[in-house]
Amino acid sequence: MRAFYISLLTAGLLALSLPVSGLVTDLSNKRIEIRYSFDGAELILFGAVGSSAVDPVNDAFDVVVVVRGPEAAAVVRRKDKVGGIWLNNAELVFPAAPGYYAVAASRALADIAQPTVFASYGIGFDNLPLIARSELGLLKPDAEFRTALYRLRESENLYRQELDSVSLVAEGLFRTDVYLPANVPVGEFLVETFVFQEGSLKARNRIRLHVDKEGFERAAYDFAHQFPLLYGLTAVLVALGAGWLAGILGKK
Amino acid sequence: MPLYLPIAELSMDVFLVIGMGAIVGFLSGMFGVGGGFLMTPILIFVGVPPAVAVATESNEITAASVSGALAHWRRQGIDIKMGSVLIVGGAVGSFFGAQVFTYLKSLGQVDLMISLAYVVFLGSVGGLMLWESVRAILRERRGYVAPRIPREDRHKAWIHVLPFKMRFRKSKLYISALLPLFIGMVVGVLAAIMGVGGGFVMVPAMIYILGMPTNVVVGTSLFQIIFVTALTTVFHSVNTQTVDIFLAVLLLIGAVVGAQVGARVGFKLNGERLRALLALLVLLVCVKMGFGLVLEPAELYSVSEVATVGANH
Repeated sequence: MRAFYISLLTAGLLALSLPVSGLVTDLSNKRIEIRYSFDGAELILFGAVGSSAVDPVNDAFDVVVVVRGPEAAAVVRRKDKVGGIWLNNAELVFPAAPGYYAVAASRALADIAQPTVFASYGIGFDNLPLIARSELGLLKPDAEFRTALYRLRESENLYRQELDSVSLVAEGLFRTDVYLPANVPVGEFLVETFVFQEGSLKARNRIRLHVDKEGFERAAYDFAHQFPLLYGLTAVLVALGAGWLAGILGKK
Repeated sequence: MPLYLPIAELSMDVFLVIGMGAIVGFLSGMFGVGGGFLMTPILIFVGVPPAVAVATESNEITAASVSGALAHWRRQGIDIKMGSVLIVGGAVGSFFGAQVFTYLKSLGQVDLMISLAYVVFLGSVGGLMLWESVRAILRERRGYVAPRIPREDRHKAWIHVLPFKMRFRKSKLYISALLPLFIGMVVGVLAAIMGVGGGFVMVPAMIYILGMPTNVVVGTSLFQIIFVTALTTVFHSVNTQTVDIFLAVLLLIGAVVGAQVGARVGFKLNGERLRALLALLVLLVCVKMGFGLVLEPAELYSVSEVATVGANH
């Protein structure tokens, strides 16, 4: 860990001397494999701010890191009391909601820049370009359903804001931890880093992160989804075999 | 020890899963029931999506019924002919149940249907069982012995009017095939929408409606359950991809061990008291599910992914 830290520090210092790139970042792991023992993952994002964009030694700066997971259709349903029982009564479909969205910042977002600035870069829950699908076509989602989506995903640790902080180490070097919960969706993730100074954006960059089921887990999932009939028959055969075995063992 | 379940898409503790299997196995061994009606609600309770819980439990019940049916096979306690008719009915019921399940899943109402089915069926079966056993216990105290009903009088008159009569030698019955077909069908529907074997409906129906001798009832019911839950597993795999083999096998490991211990405890208990306890357990699950329907939930909203696989159409 320490060696890794030092090597990144050197990388960061090297980056400082490069005049063109104002910002370099790297992830401790760019490929997350979901295997049988997967219980979530924790990544470290390291970055260094070069001298061309910001003078890190003399000027204070802020870093905001946004991690966005693959977009997928999500449906939010609301229960209402109908005839004495609570049942799903109203629903709203979000055709492209990110399956994971985390914002980490070196300070509270409100202290870093004006809300309009964050809005123009799509940073933060309020600025996610979410649209809803209805019979009338695509439209701006109902605020109630939208906040419900955030709340539900937050409770699953899939949406995170104002929870993780970016720590400014020294000499323009910064780091943050990226938490991926066990129920993280698979696909391409985008890790975007924004450097702000005095309320305006000075530099940004993005790196990709790939999360996928691997090995046996991937094979089982693909099998179930691509050959569902064969999968079902296999499940039955496994059950018959296991039951027969249990019957023999139980007799003894 | 966490284990990632690729179909359920969640991480669960292996020992928790095996432990749940063991507890349900213990109770099912003690009471001589399949245990699906306990396992499915418990799976839902610990966070497994209801659709996955129902489909996976079908798969586990297949395995559990094989070992049970084998034991009955050895002592010739299975009426194959009756079982086959029940299976044909069950296949039809399971097919339609799975279709309804898939349709309601696309509407977001499958959880409601599962809860409603549990409340209605467990409520009525549990209530009847409790009434029967309490009456039996009270009668036993008063020293009352119910008069034996002659075998010829067991069937109601309407049963003999039904067409398509068939002879079931093992059950010593000559009745319309429509009856077991219909019973099998109801059980098939329940298997598909509740994640149960359906023994709790089939066994009383075989005794009270068909008038089958008790020595072939449980074996024949298990025989039917093997085939119907196997079919249900295939239907759910094809329609909704919600069968998690790994979860099913883990549950089974616990259930096999638990059932052995449970059966030994069960032998030591008085039959009627055991039945009253089982009735209370059934009613408890029913009440638990019922509260979920009538009490205002803490979170009114829920989010789920929209199925991208062409499952619905």
